Formats: sequence, structure tokens, C-alpha cells
Amino acid sequence: MFKKLIEESTGKSPWLFHINAGSCNGCDIELVSVLTPRYDAERLGFKLSGTPRHADIVVVTGPVTQQSLARVLRTIEQVPEPRCIVTMGSCPQSGNVFRGSYAIAGPLSKYVHVDVDVAGCTPKPEAVIDGLVKATEILREKRRAMK
Amino acid sequence: MFTPAFFTTALLYLGYILIFPGFLFCFVIGLLLCGIDRKAVARMQKRVGPPILQPFYDFFKLCGKETIVPAAASRTTFMLAPLVGLAALVVIQLFIPVFNFRVFRNLPEVADMIVILYLLLIPAVSVMLGGAATGSPYAGIGLSREMVTVLAVELPLVMVLLSVAKAVGNELGTGLVFSLSGVVDYQAAHGSLIGHISMIPAALAMLLIIPGETGNHPFDAAEAETEICEGLLAEYSGAPLGIYKLSHAVKMLTLTSLFVALFLGGIGTGVEHLVAAVGLTGAVAGAVSLILQVLILVLLCIVLTLVTISFVHAVTARLKIEQLFKYYWTVVTGLALISLVLAWYGF
Ligand code: SF4
Repeated sequence: MFKKLIEESTGKSPWLFHINAGSCNGCDIELVSVLTPRYDAERLGFKLSGTPRHADIVVVTGPVTQQSLARVLRTIEQVPEPRCIVTMGSCPQSGNVFRGSYAIAGPLSKYVHVDVDVAGCTPKPEAVIDGLVKATEILREKRRAMK
Repeated sequence: MFTPAFFTTALLYLGYILIFPGFLFCFVIGLLLCGIDRKAVARMQKRVGPPILQPFYDFFKLCGKETIVPAAASRTTFMLAPLVGLAALVVIQLFIPVFNFRVFRNLPEVADMIVILYLLLIPAVSVMLGGAATGSPYAGIGLSREMVTVLAVELPLVMVLLSVAKAVGNELGTGLVFSLSGVVDYQAAHGSLIGHISMIPAALAMLLIIPGETGNHPFDAAEAETEICEGLLAEYSGAPLGIYKLSHAVKMLTLTSLFVALFLGGIGTGVEHLVAAVGLTGAVAGAVSLILQVLILVLLCIVLTLVTISFVHAVTARLKIEQLFKYYWTVVTGLALISLVLAWYGF
């Protein structure tokens, strides 16, 4: 019963940690708007946490520049299991307008397993919420698979 | 020694510690207060807000997460500090009378206000110990800020307790009454202390102390998640983090019920009169009035949380640590001092 309780709770209280991997700031602002009164993702339990240790879902924005790659990977490693990685915007998926640049190390999926991709430049807040909710379902699955 | 009476008493005290007013009561009501606070703040900001049960989800989720102990941390301190803090809060809850119900009925002198003052320090110290054990630089900044916050809040709190002790002592002609059950007994017989002119500034000061002591919004420089990554908690994850969050919730319950015991303790007698007026007697009357008193306590705690924590959270922005210190040592201490002077001259 206790295990079931934890599993249910895992799906209902996902805390986000946001990493900016060289984004143009468009996606970052859009992520914040998801938490504002208009869209209020907190009604689903989402909360922005200040440190990766508290996080369940890592949201990566930006095309993963050469400079940021090592930091992104290191930050993701600091997030306790079960964790989910969500990319936001087209940048971390494909490089978007920065594709082919010498400064870009992305896409992110070359280095870590990405659970949910939210495409768009920038994605609408509705799409972001949808992607995050999908991530919470994956999170619950991952919790179920643990011990 | 091991007579049946001994076992019944032991069982009774075990019940007190584990169920009411100990651990289970603290757990449920504390997290409930936290949930109501989050919902209320959201509504004040025109948001829908999380479900009232959100803190419960958060707690259970954290129980199911991996606990990462930083390589630089001292493992024992890191794991034990949260438990010590929570245990201290549960002990305080045992010492705070629920109107006319108290755990240590035959030992009225067992815990006076000074003990509660000391015990209230332990959760703060445990956060500091645990945070310092992680060796994180964010925790270092959080540590110094938490220390200043504790110092800032302690002085007005001592003044408030002193003025209450003096007011009750004056009325009874026994100098200072430091026993918390003595204070509540006095109120049960002569009406709540909030009715005295001298106690109104002290009550106001106590209301302002509640968010500072719990580290809630305008006074949360020590845990500022936007600038220093939650400070002392920066390296915590999993179940120990959950216990810290739980302690924070229980602290709200502790301080609001301390307020009720200090200033509104006379309500219990009213409830007993009411139950007697309905015509109940004996054990039934005792049980019914106890349940009613607990319900009233919970309601009052909710109201106090809404006023002192949620409302203040919604209308203010975070204070810098030196502003916080100045505020507590001037405005709040001033209020408590006025009360003390008034109580000294017997108003
Ligand atoms: S997807 Fe578009 S808005 Fe988002 S970071 Fe990339 S370029 Fe900027």
C-alpha cells in the first residue's frame, strides 16, 4: 500500500529544474509563463525548484553549446532517481537555427536519454504543460520500475 | 513495578506520543495547514492553486526518491539532523496544552515556557547542522542567514513570553508565572488573556513572530530558493528533505497552537460549559468536549495560518537579512516591550 501511495504521489508532485543550455531566452520566458496565474501549472503540482537535488523533471532549453555541454550533463547527474528529462523548444532537439554552427554540441539526445521533446520555437505554454504532464506519467512508470 | 497499571500508563503515554497530540496529529494537521496556506496564497494571486493535499503528495514522493549523500558530507549528521528537528517539534506539541487537555496532567511543572523556548531552537539548529554537514557553499550562506534570523526572532519571543508571565503573575499575585499550563489554567478560570489591554501588543508581536520563526515568505532570506538555492537544504534530497519539509509544516502548527495557548486559552471553559448545558455528563461529556476543543484548536490554527502566513506571503516581497533583523529588533521587540511595561504596571 505504501508503495502505491508513493507511486501515486510521484505523479502528482513533479518539481522542475530548468537548465539553460545556450537558449535565446525565448523558451526560458515561456517556461516561466507556464507558472504564472494564467496557466498556473502549480495546480498540477509543478513547482520550480532552486537546486537539481530537489528536482524530478529537468527541463533543458537551448541548443546545448560546446561550453554548456559538460555542465548540463553534470547537472543532470545530480538529480536523484527517478528523474525525467524534457527538452523544450526545437533547439535541443535539432539545433534549430543554430544548426551547423561550430559552437553547438547538440542535439541533447546524442548524450543522454531524453524522455519528452516539446517542439516549437517557442512552444506554446499549452504544449509545454502537455509535455510536462506526459513526463509525470513517465516518472510514475519509472518509480514503479524501481525495486 | 511491572503492574497492569504501569502498562496502561505506558500505553497511554505511547498513544500521546504517537497519535495525539504527538506524531500523527502533527503530521496530518501540519501538512494540512501547509496545503491550506499554499492554496490560499494561490487564490490571493488569482491562481487555481495546488490541491489542499499537495504537501502530502510532496512528502510521499520525497520518501520514494533516491537519497544522495554528498561525498564531502558527514553521513551520520546528514541523516540524523532532520529527525532530531522533527522529534523536538513533536515534544513541544506534547507540552502545549490543548485548552483544558494536557498530557502531563499530574506534572504541571514539567515544562514551562523556557523549555519550549529551548526546544523551539532545536529544529533551527538541526537544519543548520545538517546543512553545514553537506559542505555546500550555498549552505554556508544559508547558515549565517539562518543564525541571524534565529537571533532576530528570539528576542521578541522572549519578551512576549515574559510579558505573558508577568500579566498572569500580577493577577494571581505570585510574581512571574512561567508554567504554560499555569497560564492556560488562569485563562480557563478568568477568561482569555487577549481581553487584557496590556496583552494586545504582545499578541500582535506574536503574530509577527510566527512567519519569522517558521521561515515563511517575507522572512525566508535563509532559504531563498531564487538566489541561494534553498540555502541549507541545497544538497538534501529524498526522505531527509521530506522530513525537513514536514518539520517546516509542523512548525506552523506548533507556533499557531502556542499562540492559542498563550492568548486564547479561555475558550476551553466555554466549550465545557456548552457541553454541560446540553446535558451531557461524565465520560461522554469529557470525550465530546475534548473533541470539540481539538476541532476549535485546529480551526483557530487554520485562521492564524491564513492571517499570519498566507496573507503576509501574498502581499510582501522577501526582506534582506539586515532588514529582517532590524525589523524584529525594533518594531516587534518594541511591541512586546510595550506589553511588558503595561503588564508590569498591572493593566
Ligand atoms: S527554440 Fe526558439 S525560442 Fe527556444 S531557445 Fe531555441 S531559438 Fe530560442
